[in-house]
Parts: sequence; structure tokens; C-alpha cells
Amino acid sequence: MLLPGLAPYDAVSNDALGMTAALRTFGHDVVLFALHAKDIDEPVQPPETIERWIESPDDVVIYHYCTGWDFPLQLLRRLKARRVLRYHNITPPEFFEGWSAGYVAACADGRAQLDAYAAMQCELYLGDSPFNNRDFVERGADPARCAVLPPFHHVERLLAAQPDTRRLPDTDGAPTLLMVGRIAPSKNDFALIDALAACRETVDPRARLLRVGKLDPNLATYGIAMREHIRVRDVEHNVITLEDASGAELRAAYAAADALVMLSAHEGFCVPLIEAMALGTPIVSLGSSAIPWTLQGAGLVWDEADPHVIAASIARLRGDPDLRASLSDLGMERYRSAFAPAVLIEGLREAMARLDAVPA
Amino acid sequence: MSSDPTDEYLERVKAEIRAEADAARLRKPLPRKALPGSSAGETVRNDGIDRGRLDYAIGELTGLQYAAFVDNAFRVLLKRPADEPGKDRQLRLLAVGASKAEVLGNLRYSSEGRRVGVRVRGLLPRYALAKLVHVPIIGYLLEWLLALAAVPLLLRHQRGADTQNAARFDDVAAQLMRRAEEQQALAARLDQVQRQIDETRAQFAARAEALEQRAATLELRTQALSDSIGDLPDLRHHILAVNHWSVSLQQSFAEIDDAATAGAERAQSLIAAMYGAPDALADREARGARWLAALQARASAPARVLDLGSGDGDWIARLGAHGYDAVGVESNKFLGARARERALTVVVDEPFTWLARCADEDLDVITCSGGLPRNDDALVDALAHLRRALKPGGWLMIDCIQTQPTGVLPEPRGDVARTSRAVAASGFSLDASASLADAVLAQRR
Repeated sequence: MLLPGLAPYDAVSNDALGMTAALRTFGHDVVLFALHAKDIDEPVQPPETIERWIESPDDVVIYHYCTGWDFPLQLLRRLKARRVLRYHNITPPEFFEGWSAGYVAACADGRAQLDAYAAMQCELYLGDSPFNNRDFVERGADPARCAVLPPFHHVERLLAAQPDTRRLPDTDGAPTLLMVGRIAPSKNDFALIDALAACRETVDPRARLLRVGKLDPNLATYGIAMREHIRVRDVEHNVITLEDASGAELRAAYAAADALVMLSAHEGFCVPLIEAMALGTPIVSLGSSAIPWTLQGAGLVWDEADPHVIAASIARLRGDPDLRASLSDLGMERYRSAFAPAVLIEGLREAMARLDAVPA
Repeated sequence: MSSDPTDEYLERVKAEIRAEADAARLRKPLPRKALPGSSAGETVRNDGIDRGRLDYAIGELTGLQYAAFVDNAFRVLLKRPADEPGKDRQLRLLAVGASKAEVLGNLRYSSEGRRVGVRVRGLLPRYALAKLVHVPIIGYLLEWLLALAAVPLLLRHQRGADTQNAARFDDVAAQLMRRAEEQQALAARLDQVQRQIDETRAQFAARAEALEQRAATLELRTQALSDSIGDLPDLRHHILAVNHWSVSLQQSFAEIDDAATAGAERAQSLIAAMYGAPDALADREARGARWLAALQARASAPARVLDLGSGDGDWIARLGAHGYDAVGVESNKFLGARARERALTVVVDEPFTWLARCADEDLDVITCSGGLPRNDDALVDALAHLRRALKPGGWLMIDCIQTQPTGVLPEPRGDVARTSRAVAASGFSLDASASLADAVLAQRR
């Protein structure tokens, strides 16, 4: 299992560790290789030693492709083993134009390797979603070598956590919009702020936004612009930011929210959606990228991030208990049928079986 | 439309939500709060373009000139930086005499400008006129009329421009003057720096020369050391030779020691043979008894007795056994060693040399077991010292007969008569009453 780095609460790390545990239950011998690992209860080897570990062409290297990195590109070209490209998508660089030249370059470099990986005809392209796999199929990868496997996650831990409301605003009945995810241009926070402003104007002046997520210091200009926009929309006292929310706090946030409002413009899968679904929190979202596939109708999905439409959706959810219950049930059913751990394990088993069926 | 009831339900709900949103949008548009320092709610990204402002007066946009004017026009009217082809196009228009109103109008009333929708008060009529003058004939006539009508304004502008140019010229001249002064100061500073550089260079050169000299000296010393090191083989040869010589010397010393040891052993054996022979022992015993008897009659113990040539100490042992304070002097180290082994007080020295160091009138008795010197001068000295060292009335006994029966010693010690005459002439009174056939007995006068 090869990936750039391992860290707790990181979606790619969670997926890699989940796959590792599942593969070991299948009887496979799995070793983790990463450039850096922090607070991981698992031995992690340096990537340059990976070839010493490979003893047979039947061995499998699963590379978690989530950023530009030359080492695996060269490795997979020369490797005498079966190659699985686990693709978590890379945000298109256009989202970061004008905010961070570094991000633009990194995303461009990462996506520039898509052609090379597609041309490599890896034994299996394992995307988090059909949206992700499209990146390879459009570049000539054999669709028969593509499979979809949602990412392994820690939603079960979230379900088991006891809610911690100490850092949350008081439950006074005010409309509460929740957004979970890192603060970045692709997450469309400006539209979210507009939606909050519309909520204050049309639903309830006490409407607030719980923004759970961190801002990368390299995107400081975006953070400044976001704060400016918050002031322009006069919602300075209505935005509560939680940067390092614990599982218990996140659990409490989902419980307090009228809806998870996901207006992100680009998602390869969107883990917060399955968190909301598992916890029964209704979802109001923009139907971009992989979001419609992840939800499969278990939410109010819109084609545009119109602030008044979002505000009206919140108002409707608050005033229509049947709608709220229906969306909550749809979400939980979607989670159970498609994203529960047992389902993912079975999906991985099927993916490994497909890998075995690929001719050498 | 999906046939799933749930999907139908959701679609219906979404349609209702859309309708509510449309109504709310008209009723309650989104708030836009004016921030401090801005005329309306601004949203300025880090590229400096004020995307929130959509209303300007034409005078706000025509104050800049040339490229700055065109750049600003793009940023205000299209809310983006100027692209190179677009900017180039407008600059060329200005260069051929187009008015700023025409350039502003080109941007504002382009399809992109219309989408952005910035309002510029006073632009439309000016832009219309600017376009009208391009119409053949009518446009030409209109331009003439406008030009004639604008002559007073142009003259005013010209006078203003002249004044402004003059003012700018004065400014530029003043700036040039300042630049010239600054340049002079810089030149002076440069000269100073150059001088410092030259001085430093000279110092470096001097130090370099000194270092070169030291290096040359070092080289010479190094060469001398090398030469010395070159002499090392010879030195080594010498050292080896000296070492060999010293080893040989040690061997010689060892041989000498061995010879001395062998000699000593032979001497010991000889002495043992001489003094240990039975007949020699008997003879010495008898003589010793005679002498003791003679002495006891004349000087009673514990008289101080010195025996010169005491041999192996037999005589002084006998004296000591009878209470005399007897000391012997013997020149032969082996005999002296034998006497000391018997715990006798014996000095190993030349007997009469040692006598010369004795104190005056210090002794009661002196016996010469080894006889007197044969040389006349030495005899005279000896007899003088014998008399000096004896107390007045002290006794002198001299052995005159060779007593070694084996004849090993080369010569006899001398005869009694001769010795008696010498002793009598030296301040002694002879005493023949002891009837000693082998010795002379005399008393110091």
C-alpha cells in the first residue's frame, strides 16, 4: 500500500488503513509505504524500499493517487507486479487561480500525471466514484480495468461518539446550516455565505452557519476574502468556525444542524455526505462532480448554488417534518446499502477478484 | 421524470422551493454592507479589482493617460485585467487619435461589457458622437463643426497644457538638478570608495609580499631540514658504528672484569696457599708469641699499637686478644679483605704514606710487620715519621726477616744490623734485651 503520507483524520489515510485491515482479513500480507507517517499505530516503510518487498509478479501494489508525485509514476512503469491505482481525485488548478500559485502548480502537476497513468494500463483503476474513474477512461484507460469502491471511513466511530456541544452555540431553535470540509476555493464558501445571508433575510435573522474545517495557511488570501465577504453580507455574528473539531463535537454539530449544506464545486466522493446520511441529517447540496452519485437522491440536490433556493430549502426542512424524515430515512438507507463497512469490505473483495481476472 | 414515488415527491417539493426562492429574491435581495473606506459594499479580491462597484462618472475614468488609462478601463468596465490583444487594440486607437470616450465605449458596449453591466454616467452620448464622426461625409462635417465649436475649449486646454508643460518642465528641471547633485555626491563617494579600494589593494600587496618572503624563508628552512634529513643515513651509519664500538667496549670491560676476577681468585688462592701452609702457620705462631712476650714486658695493655704491613692481621689479632688497641695498615687489598673478614681494624693503604698522616706523639707502640722501605730516602722519611708518631718512650718493633717459606715474594725485607743502625741514628735507643733474632726493638728517646 503506497501513499504520500499517513495522518489521523485524513480521508486518504483512513481509506488506506481500512483497505489494509480488510485485505489482511482476506489473508493477504500487507505492508504500508509512505514518505511520512504521524500518530499511526502501524509500521510504515520508506517508499524507496518497496521493490525489495516485491517477490513475485502476483504481488500487488496499491498506490493512493491524490497528488503529484514522480516516484510512483516511475515505479509503476518498471514494476514487475500487479498495479492498482486507487484514485481520490485532484482538484482542478483553476479553482485556485488568483488565490495560491503554489496550489495551482501542485494541482496542475498532479493532474498532469493522469495521462501517464491512463497510458500505463494498470491492472485495476479503483476510483472512489464513477466521476473519478472518468478521468482515466477519458484518457484511454480500458473501462474493463476500472472499478468503483467508495473510500473506507470512520463514520462508525462518529456514530459511537457521545456528542460534545460545549463549543457549539446554544440550541435556541435558530436555523443552523452546517458545512464540513477544509476551507478552500473549491468548497464554494462564498455561495454558502450568501445562502446564510439569504436565510437571515427570509427565514430567521438568527440563522447561523457552523463551518467545520481548517484553512491552509497557504490559502490565507482566500481566508481574507472570505472574511471580507462575511462582513459585506453582514453575517459576522452568524458564522461559527470550528477548526479542529473532535469526533464528539462533529457528532454534536450534525445533530444540531437543520441540514448539511454542501455547495462544493468539486468532489471526488465527499465523505461529509455519508457522515450526514449515517447520522440522519438532511442534506441540501449543489449537484456537482461526484455529489449526485454519492447521494443517489438522498437529499435536496440543486443545479445552481442559488442562495435564495438554499435558504428556501432550509425553510422547507424546518417547516415540513415529513420531508425531513423522508430525507433522513433515504440518507440512512443509502449509507447502509452502499457505504457501511461490511459493504465496503465486500466491494474490496470483488475488486480483488477482478484484479485476479485481469490477464498478465 | 422518474417513476419512483419518492423521486416524484422530491421533485414536487423542489419545484415549490424554487417558487418560494424566486419570490423571496424579489422581496428580499441579498444585503450588501458598505465597509469603511468604500462607497458601497465591495468585494475586492487580491487582484485589486472592485467587483462590487457598478456605477461611475465618466470623469473618474478619463484622468489617466495611455496604458494606465486602458488598464484601468478594463478593470473597471470588464472587471478583469486587460488581455494583451485587447489592450493593444485600444492603445492603437488612441495612437491614431481616437478619444478616450471611444475607447471606454468600445469596452462598455462590447458583449462582455454588457454582461458585466457597469454604468458610466455621461459615456453614451460621447461614445455615440465618437462613432458618428466615422460616418463618411456627415461624420467629416460633424467633426469640423465639433472642432470649430471646441476651438475656445481647445485654446483653453492648450494654454492650460502650456502652463502644465511649463510647470512640468520646471519640475523636471528641478528633478534633474537634484539628480545631478545626487550624481555628483555619488561620484565623490565613488572616488572615495575607489581610493579606499586602492589603499586596501596596496596593503594587500604589501602583505602578499611579506607573505612571499616568509614563504621563501620557510622554503629555505625546509630545504635545510631536508638536507639534514638527507644526512640521516650517514648519521645512522655513525650511530650504528658507535653502537658497535660501545658493544665492543662493554665486551672488553667484561673481559677485564673477568680477568680481574680471575686474578683476584688466583691471588686469593696464592695468599691462601702462602698463609695457610702448615709450616708457615707454625712459624708465624712462634714469632708472634716471641714478639708478644717482648712487647708485654715493655708496654702493657691497653696500649695503642699501630702495625704497618699487617698482612692478613694475624699479629694485630694476637695483640687485640691480649687487650691491646691494635690497628693495622696493609697495602694488599686481598690481605686487607681477609683481615676485615676477621673483624679486625685494618686500613688498606700504603703503610708509610698513611703513617705520615698520623698525629704527633699519638701512639704507644708501632710494629712494622712488613719491614721498612728499602730506598734510603724513603727509609729516612719513614724513621722520621715513626719517631714523630710515637709518644716519648714509645716502642718500635721492626720485622727484618722474610718469613714466607715458599719464597714467593721477590726479596727479603733487610737485615737486623743495618736496621738497627738506622733506627739508632733516628732518635731511638735500641733494646737488645729481648733477644729477638728476626726483629729490632727500640724505644723513642
